[in-house]
Amino acid sequence: MNQQHLHPHLTPDEIELWAQGLLGAAGALHLAECRECLVRAEQERTLVRDLAQLPRFGPEFGFIERVMAHVRVPTPSGDFRA
Amino acid sequence: MEWAKDGQEPAFRELVRRYERPVFSLIYRMVRDRTLAEDLAQETFIKVLNGIRSYRPEFKFSSWIFKIANNAAIDHLRRRDLDTLSLDGSPHAQTAEEMQATALQLDGGAESPLDAVTARELGSQIERAIARLRPEYRSCILLRHVEGHSYEEIAQMLDLPLGTVKTYIHRARNELRGYLEGVRD
Repeated sequence: MNQQHLHPHLTPDEIELWAQGLLGAAGALHLAECRECLVRAEQERTLVRDLAQLPRFGPEFGFIERVMAHVRVPTPSGDFRA
Repeated sequence: MEWAKDGQEPAFRELVRRYERPVFSLIYRMVRDRTLAEDLAQETFIKVLNGIRSYRPEFKFSSWIFKIANNAAIDHLRRRDLDTLSLDGSPHAQTAEEMQATALQLDGGAESPLDAVTARELGSQIERAIARLRPEYRSCILLRHVEGHSYEEIAQMLDLPLGTVKTYIHRARNELRGYLEGVRD
């Protein structure tokens, strides 16, 4: 009997587990037999990988100084200094 | 973190240094305008540092700062939507002159240097696909897959039930796959 009949199609949660290498044996067996789930899982893995590889952008030079100019730093006495 | 809570200026600076890129990146991807993202990121850090004594250590600091950053971005997007005028001008305009004065000014085609930077930075297929998501989905997908937060942390940050966060992320991934279908090499 075909394994895909023993386990329903993978849920989004299961596909995410698979992409992380955490999917249980029953799900993995289903994936090995079910082309529909495999295609969806591969697309999902590619998307998640692409998202994780997006670059981080930085603000313009001097950002910290611009922030600190508006921050009230508490002194040990409990007062604030700008 | 404890140093920062005690008001040590070097600790404040270190917190800004550590989080400026992730916070700025999240806001920038939400509002897609460099200058505005910088203003909102600055507002976020000022709020965080001036309110550091209200920080509750049972929560992750990153969750707290991303919550404030996301709120700043979402609030801006909501205000912008309220302020959006039709091409024909404000519905409250009474005269032709008022209609014209309040009509949306279409860009003449000239691109500022900052617009060019934004186009370069956010111009890839995947960035454009992210921009097409509704803001709630965009926040969730960025916090989950770009910043690497757990579903539980995101639910806490966005004050949403866990099930809603999962639904938003699944829908966002479906939409992204749809937008990217056929455009991949």
